[in-house]
Amino acid sequence: MLQVYRLAKRYGEVWAIRDVSLRLEAGSTLVLLGQNGAGKTTALRCLSGLLLPTSGRVLVGGKDSRLEPDAVREQIGLVPEVPGLYDRMPARSYLDFFGRVYGLDPGTRARRIERLLELFDLAEAGDRWLGSFSKGMRQKVALIRATLHRPPLVLADEPTSALDPDSAHVAWRYLEELRAEGAALVVCTHNMAEAQQLAGEIGIMSAGRLLAVGELPELVRAAGLKKHREVVERPTLEEVYLAIVGNGVEHEARPA
Amino acid sequence: MKLDRRKALLVAERDFRDAAGDLRLALAMAGLALVIPIAAGSGIRALVVFGGGLSDLVQRVSIVGAFFVVFLPASYSLVLALESFVGERERSTLEVLLSTPLKEAEIYVGKVASVLAISLFLCFGALIVYCTVTFPGLGYFPLGVLVSLGVSTICQVAAMVAGAVIVSANARTMRAANVMASFIILPMSVVLQVEAALILVGRGEFLWGFAAAMAVGALILLRMGLGGFSREALLSRETGAKGLLGRARRAVAGAFRDAPGGLRLLRARLAPILASLAAFPVGAVLGYLAAGALPGRVASPVLSALLRSSGRADPASMALWVFAHNLLAILLAGLLASVTIGLTGYLLTALPGALVGYAAAVSSWSLALTGILPNGLIEIPVAAIAGGLAIHIGASAIHMEPEGGWTRRLLGAQAELAKALLWLAPLLAIAALLEAYVTPRL
Repeated sequence: MLQVYRLAKRYGEVWAIRDVSLRLEAGSTLVLLGQNGAGKTTALRCLSGLLLPTSGRVLVGGKDSRLEPDAVREQIGLVPEVPGLYDRMPARSYLDFFGRVYGLDPGTRARRIERLLELFDLAEAGDRWLGSFSKGMRQKVALIRATLHRPPLVLADEPTSALDPDSAHVAWRYLEELRAEGAALVVCTHNMAEAQQLAGEIGIMSAGRLLAVGELPELVRAAGLKKHREVVERPTLEEVYLAIVGNGVEHEARPA
Repeated sequence: MKLDRRKALLVAERDFRDAAGDLRLALAMAGLALVIPIAAGSGIRALVVFGGGLSDLVQRVSIVGAFFVVFLPASYSLVLALESFVGERERSTLEVLLSTPLKEAEIYVGKVASVLAISLFLCFGALIVYCTVTFPGLGYFPLGVLVSLGVSTICQVAAMVAGAVIVSANARTMRAANVMASFIILPMSVVLQVEAALILVGRGEFLWGFAAAMAVGALILLRMGLGGFSREALLSRETGAKGLLGRARRAVAGAFRDAPGGLRLLRARLAPILASLAAFPVGAVLGYLAAGALPGRVASPVLSALLRSSGRADPASMALWVFAHNLLAILLAGLLASVTIGLTGYLLTALPGALVGYAAAVSSWSLALTGILPNGLIEIPVAAIAGGLAIHIGASAIHMEPEGGWTRRLLGAQAELAKALLWLAPLLAIAALLEAYVTPRL
């Protein structure tokens, strides 16, 4: 579903990401971890076709983001870090607008909007202006908007950072449902517990580079922690993350 | 570029509803668009009643009033456009819109259409109210002037909106955008004042010229705005202004280093150089025709002054004067090329051509051409090359690309002319020596 070859992006004289390669199949999940400024958001923007790579290639469903950017964006649902909602629009009208942008027919639009508003407990607030919504409610609307057209690739930048535990649980369950239907998910988060619970694969970014990518046991091996602790207990993702980022060197958990 | 009109309309409809949905803003705009024309129209009627009837001055003031009444709602277009582009960018709503399959052109056209629709509705609404209050019963109605006002208003609003888009590509916040918007509103207010002055001195026929200039300006700005409105330009991050002076120095040095020289430059800029060269015979024909239209008493003093200023007894000082004059003309053409969209590049050859044509009309072609030979054999190609490079500077100034790099391209074009001067200047010196020592003897 997603193939990234030696992706690099430069802003002026600053390299935001360098030499990022990865591959993601349909129905799988990749969680990107990294400190602030590690390049996660820029990576998502490049994957979503919002920004063109300075070098390297991004293929989504076989389409090159440089050659067929519109076709790439049709296959993507982007949940940015900031929800970016129109404050003077009711939630239903807002979602309907994006449904029309994605070319959904009126019946499908109405059905999906109602179902997702129900799922996220927003049905009653659906006719209120988005400006009156709480931070968590806004994040839910952003998630609905990004997935309304059932994209085969969902890119989410900290999709549950403003949600209470119950709502976060609903959001993860919904993302899991999309994954089960065949969507590939790329999720950026700082929440290690969630990442550990959600992830099929985990990518660890630092200073614009993808230091390691693989499933948790592979990362544990790559971090060199297993030999110390394999008998006692399994290291947590947080320990693995700190070990990899702390070393600051690239680990070949699995060829990306 | 393919454009799905339905999708552009979808964006326009949403933006229109968003702007109209802000009740306070909508009421303020509609209120001002109503109150000001009513007050202005009432003032004109009061002048007629209490100022001794419908004098010529009152008629002219009533037309000036129409221009001011329209200008205020027209200036809202700038506010609406900045809000629609920079405001959305600041609130991250533009990023969401850009993440959809909508093409940049669809978003751009939709947003511009929405701002134009609101602004023009207010402008023409205000104009209709003003005309309804002012003119009934006065016994005259300046239809021609009002039509030219209507046309120039459409172009003025379009130019302001397009200018706002260009500002939005270079401003990250509304505060920065508002400051940069002064570069749009100030020239527009100067245009308004010149228009008002023309009406007051009774030269309303020139307003069509302003309308035409506005139309050209609006088209150029709209094209630039469309070229510069790209995901890349809008979402790329700024890396700060650290070491700005050093970066500027490196950019200038890099532009100068990378500019092609000699034959490579001539090959690369052949089209504008030929365009500039073609302006010479065009200028000659126009000069020839002008001799019949311009009365001798107008042209003679100008030509005499030119001859007096160039007439030096000493050939050495004459050569120096000719060289300095030609070099200055090229430098001015290059400096002004970016603000005149390359017009100075054509003038560099068209004006000497016009002088030759005029001289030919009042004497003969053989005499006129003898006056510029043999020095002209060097001067005219040099002027055409410099003119072509000036045209390229103008073209670079009005060209924006999705990847950005406007400053780099403009610097590069200016560096080409600067680098070419290294070998054009010696040629000008040779031409000046020929003009001072050889031409007078032929």
